[in-house]
Amino acid sequence: MAKQYDVLFRLLLLGDSGVGKTCLLCRFTDNEFHPSHISTIGVDFKMKTLEIDGIKVRIQIWDTAGQERYQTITKQYYRRAQGIFLVYDITSERSFQHIMKWASDVDEYAPDNIQRILIGNKSDEEEKRQVATGQGNKLAKDYGMDFFETSASTNYNITESFTRLAEQVLAANKKDLDLLRASVTDELNLAALEEEEGITDGAAASQKGCWC
Amino acid sequence: MSLALTALPPIAIRLPSTGEYPVKVGPAPGSQVQLSAARRKNLEFEPLSTTALILEDRPSNLPAKSVEEAMRHKQEYDEMVAGAKRRELKEAQKKKRRMKERFKQEDSIANAMVIWNNDVLPNWDCMRNTRRVRELWWQGLPPSVRGRVWSLAIGNELNITPELFEIFLSRAKERWKSFSETSSENETEDSGSLQADRESSLDLIKLDISRTFPSLFIFQKGGPYHDLLHSVLGAYTCYRPDVGYVQGMSFIAAVLILNLEEADAFIAFANLLNKPCQMAFFRVDHDLMLKYFAAFEVFFEENLPRLFNHFQINNLTPDLYLIDWIFTLYSKSLPLDVACRVWDVFCRDGEECLFRTGLGILRLYQEVLLQMDFIHMAQFLTRLPDDMAADNLFSCITATQMLSSNRKWGQVFSALMKDGSKEMANHSPAPRS
Repeated sequence: MAKQYDVLFRLLLLGDSGVGKTCLLCRFTDNEFHPSHISTIGVDFKMKTLEIDGIKVRIQIWDTAGQERYQTITKQYYRRAQGIFLVYDITSERSFQHIMKWASDVDEYAPDNIQRILIGNKSDEEEKRQVATGQGNKLAKDYGMDFFETSASTNYNITESFTRLAEQVLAANKKDLDLLRASVTDELNLAALEEEEGITDGAAASQKGCWC
Repeated sequence: MSLALTALPPIAIRLPSTGEYPVKVGPAPGSQVQLSAARRKNLEFEPLSTTALILEDRPSNLPAKSVEEAMRHKQEYDEMVAGAKRRELKEAQKKKRRMKERFKQEDSIANAMVIWNNDVLPNWDCMRNTRRVRELWWQGLPPSVRGRVWSLAIGNELNITPELFEIFLSRAKERWKSFSETSSENETEDSGSLQADRESSLDLIKLDISRTFPSLFIFQKGGPYHDLLHSVLGAYTCYRPDVGYVQGMSFIAAVLILNLEEADAFIAFANLLNKPCQMAFFRVDHDLMLKYFAAFEVFFEENLPRLFNHFQINNLTPDLYLIDWIFTLYSKSLPLDVACRVWDVFCRDGEECLFRTGLGILRLYQEVLLQMDFIHMAQFLTRLPDDMAADNLFSCITATQMLSSNRKWGQVFSALMKDGSKEMANHSPAPRS
């Protein structure tokens, strides 16, 4: 049986309520856009398989609720991720200022080699813009992140930003990846490697199960 | 009949390819008329307009059918007609059964309504816990008495009056007004984080109202229930500033608004959120939430050991799906009519019902879930199938025993509360004694 994927990892979407996290995700995985999406409570899940440099990469994406109150819960999920999207809304100055808070939480709770990327969403709403592209660029540079302005509505830069973060996660785990290239039959479960010990074996084994 | 018609074209299309018999000249026009008339006589049903496509002669620019082929076509055609009739008959029987079922259902709702109105509601206090009423309650409340029963069952421990609601509502309105006038100036100033917090909570309500049951199109701006939902949530944040607005509340308030008048909806809302389980969740008291999850896992393992094990192997912890279910009391993840029936039982049995319902859902989909890996299960549980039938779910809930080593939900939970620290450390269910 052909492998469904070579590498598996988790990405997390963080940012204030209403910046469009769920919409970005729906555009990426299903190529759909609903202007008024149902609120996310707790965490939602999606997945997609990409091919990067000939490697089949399965991405699990965890879409979190944005309200501050929920952060006690969502912080628990940071350590289970390999990559994080920090999302703000270019029409909301406040959501941009909160990025600093989100980023410092990531520093505190996420694994050390976590990959981050900054997203300024709703780039199609130019007439309501409150955050200049330059501001986003500067912040991203200060934090050593890549930066994309995106629009889930017009499908601008969506695949690009998801692919970029996936590439960064792959690069950050290059050592494990080289091992993978040496073997043909195994698959690499980055997500499971980061999990608490004890369940790793079981998770890796079960990921091989075929669910089509 | 539509089924048969859609099956016709392949035959019609095949006709031109009968050029295998180019030498045969068709019978004289007269005899063909006779033939098709004979065919029609054999058919025991009114020919529909499209039947002509098959039975009529072929266009004059095409070679005629051979007799052999004409017979074959006739036979094929008759078989299709017979098949269609059979299907039609079956469909009609099915429809009749469905109608009968529906009438029966409507009858029982009407009967139940009479009982609730004449017997139960006037004698609420002495009847609510009788076996007969509890059984009737389990069947689902008739929509016309649902709101009243919910109100009575939730109670009004907080002694909120409609006047008190008006007071908090007008306070909320004042605040919206003052924020909309000054918000732009305050935005960048550091004029106290409390103010900013309140403001963001008001903004969040506005944002969330349109994202509450968006498919119903009644809570969005301009919709009939938009202002009502705004009022109830706004008044609550003034009434309980210590709790404030938390995402998920808008769904609870919306379901209440669909069943109760404004002030009654507010009273039920405030009292409902004041229950220990709801307070723990909406205040995001993480330790307490973990206790609830641990108690849930005790009964999960007891009821569905195979699935429990599968979840453990895949590291699918209950918080990942229970948070959405509990925060919205299932109103976001279940079809609304099914969710209302869960609310019925929740009003009867309290928080235990919420976790029992969760186990019922897991039982209902156990076989599907056992075939899935982590991400597929997580996706499945946060977006349950929208064709879930209430009866199927409720028989799974019935099959779920809320007993673990002779301990009920409340006992398991308080045991975890008492000496939970040890068990919480490794986040596993309580050992069975």
